[in-house]
Amino acid sequence: MILVAGLVSLAGQTPEERYSQAGVLYGSGDYSGAAAIYRQLFEEGFRSGDLFYNTGNAFFKSGDNASAILFYERAKLLSPADEDIDYNLQIARSRITDRLETVPQLFFVRWFDFLSLLASTNFWAVGAIVLFLLSLMLAVLFLTRARARGRLLSFWLSLATLLLSMLLISLAVRNNSLVNHNSRAVIMCSIVTGRSAPGETGNELFVLHSGTTVTVEQELGDFREVRLPDGNKGWIRADCMEKI
Amino acid sequence: MKSILTILIFFLAGLTATPQEVTLTVDAPGVAAAGERFRVIYTINSTDGQFTPPKFDPAFTVQGPQQSTSRNVQWINGDVKTIATTTLIYYVSVSEPGTYTIPAAKFETKKVVVSSAERQIVIAPAGQAPAAVQAQTQGQGQARTAGDIPSAGTDVSLRLLFSDREVYAGEPITVTLKLYTRINLSGLQELKYPDFKGFLREDIETPPLRNLETEVIDGVQYGTGVVQRMVLYPQISGEIRIDPVEMTVLVQERSGSRDPFFDDPFFDSFFSSVSTVPRKVTTQPVTVRVKPLPTPRPADFHGAVGSFALESSLSSTEAKLNDALTLKVVLKGSGSLNLAGEPLINFPQGIEKYDPKVTITGPGTSSGSKTFEFLLIPRNPGKFDIPPVSYTVFDPKQEKYVTLRSEGYSVNVTGTPGSSEGAAPVFIPGEDVKYLGQDIRFIRNGNGRLSTAAAPLVTELHYWLWFALALFITAVVLLLRREQIRRNADVAGVRNRKASRNARQRLARAEGLLKSGSKDQVNAGVARALWGYLGDKLRIPPSEITRERCYALLRQRNTGEELISELDRILTATEYSQYAPVSEGESPAALCKRAELLIGRLDNVLD
Repeated sequence: MILVAGLVSLAGQTPEERYSQAGVLYGSGDYSGAAAIYRQLFEEGFRSGDLFYNTGNAFFKSGDNASAILFYERAKLLSPADEDIDYNLQIARSRITDRLETVPQLFFVRWFDFLSLLASTNFWAVGAIVLFLLSLMLAVLFLTRARARGRLLSFWLSLATLLLSMLLISLAVRNNSLVNHNSRAVIMCSIVTGRSAPGETGNELFVLHSGTTVTVEQELGDFREVRLPDGNKGWIRADCMEKI
Repeated sequence: MKSILTILIFFLAGLTATPQEVTLTVDAPGVAAAGERFRVIYTINSTDGQFTPPKFDPAFTVQGPQQSTSRNVQWINGDVKTIATTTLIYYVSVSEPGTYTIPAAKFETKKVVVSSAERQIVIAPAGQAPAAVQAQTQGQGQARTAGDIPSAGTDVSLRLLFSDREVYAGEPITVTLKLYTRINLSGLQELKYPDFKGFLREDIETPPLRNLETEVIDGVQYGTGVVQRMVLYPQISGEIRIDPVEMTVLVQERSGSRDPFFDDPFFDSFFSSVSTVPRKVTTQPVTVRVKPLPTPRPADFHGAVGSFALESSLSSTEAKLNDALTLKVVLKGSGSLNLAGEPLINFPQGIEKYDPKVTITGPGTSSGSKTFEFLLIPRNPGKFDIPPVSYTVFDPKQEKYVTLRSEGYSVNVTGTPGSSEGAAPVFIPGEDVKYLGQDIRFIRNGNGRLSTAAAPLVTELHYWLWFALALFITAVVLLLRREQIRRNADVAGVRNRKASRNARQRLARAEGLLKSGSKDQVNAGVARALWGYLGDKLRIPPSEITRERCYALLRQRNTGEELISELDRILTATEYSQYAPVSEGESPAALCKRAELLIGRLDNVLD
């Protein structure tokens, strides 16, 4: 009865009210109820680092470590500098079955990704446009001004803003590919076998458990070729994973 | 002694034997336990004849027969009697319970054929009526046979009496090892226990067996005595078989052959020597059914099975810093006290706990108790709550887990940390922060501004078109500007073209000053007009202009000397009037006219 009443009252509420209601449910210990509301908000297209962080927490508390890791990873893409997310993600990872050695990324790739995630794609894109316009204006100034000293300054400024604008464009593209086209996925099946070929006929190569993060490299029908954190590759059923 | 006496009597009496009737009797128990070995004894009062054994049921496992014959000569009131006896003993065991019939056996002499009576035998399921079986066996196992089996036979038996044969794992069973005897025993020797696999055994102190009590079972009188009491705690579940207990008893036995004539205590003491013979007695194997404890087990179940009560007491609720307190938790009742683990108590931080001192009194009895004595030392001042102790036991009578609770306490600790209260100063080292557990951090409860993600611009074509548009506009701007620059590049040409017009304008302004201004100003205006005109026409920067340079350039351009001298005169005139304010010579108006004329003529030459 209470559950039905809860669902009915949910229908008429604004997303913000539901968000805070889920927070109340979480506080009172109804973790799976909170997780359901958060998940619903996610399905409706709402995106925020805090929302995903809370979703991950609710899943973790209700025992679903794989979903928790999935949502922590998503939250990390939206707020990369949030130290709480890293902490909780590390705890959730410590509770899953698979222990894989992760090959660390090159430091500048890591820095660049981190930088690109600090703001949204569109922030970088608009910033790039603005800087590009500024650069052009400085270039015009340089080409038309007669006075020698001012010309030199405008030349260097124009060059600098042009380079900055190009950097922002690449940040925007990187951010977009990380947030909207991330190739990483989290294994959701409690156990799944990685094979050497798509289909059920390939040789069995490895066994993965829920919560492990893999990188999707190729897609073929219902199968995905994934790369494990330690570098090994194999084909896994697509319905056993969820993209970040 | 005895045999010599008997022979003597035989000689005295003479020998007159009389024939007698042949009989065949059968002796078998009426009830036996399944699997138990019993004896079927045929006794014939004749020695010469043919014995045909009965056809035993196929369910019977038969060993034997063990045959023995004996011949006795009796002399009674002058009659001499010869008693010949043949005894055949079959050892039979039946594994299936039920009622069986032992058919008749036959004995054939030269003259007659006799047959025994048929006997009914009830085989009871194993372990069901051991007492009755035992009693029956003992009651009927009277036949004296030669070559007795090495066991003490049925006159002495040893039994394990269980308080319960169906228990829960961990539930204590009280077991009594009891001796039953119909004959005189001179002592007990060598008690040998099996290893009681699957049980934890604990002996209860039992007074050594001195006097036998009299007990009547099925009309037969036995001397009984408890050899040992013990408590068994089952450790595993299932049907567990307990192997027999073996004991050696010392049986008093007359060494000579027994004679009915002298079967009398008086003669025994005189004519027969009594010897002590060790005999072995064993118990029947027993099966105990142990049920597992129901799952799931509560978290605070520590192995105690039985019916218990929990009590606790704290030595004081007021304490001084670093003074010891004692918390006593007592588990009272009957059950597996020695399996009961220590209760887990979450003592507040700041109170140091030591491992409890555990004492058990009266295990296996109904008034047993187990005391856990926790020594507590408060290390910080303040008010502390010692939570109630929660202890779960399994009650086999109710067949469920019962959680016992004791009361909680509040302790007030007084004192100043680091202060030396009477004692030597104590070094209080700094404490590291204690981390008690690990958990994820709490959710964000800010007023979440939820927003749906905007479509990423970088995937849109129009975004990139903006860049192209900006570039295009810039290019256009640059092109236009370049055109303008190109046109503005010929600054000197413009000046040249505009030189005479500018000069005339300046002259006109100078003329305008004629009416209102001074003569000096008019002259200066004329000079400026002329110099400006010359600068523009001859392309000389204003800073470099001199008369000499102008004249030289004019000569290069084939200007007539007349014009140059006219120019020189006008310029001199204007300068002269400037530096010599007292006026002589021409009026300013005439000078203007002359300058205008000159410019017109120069225009013609220079263009």
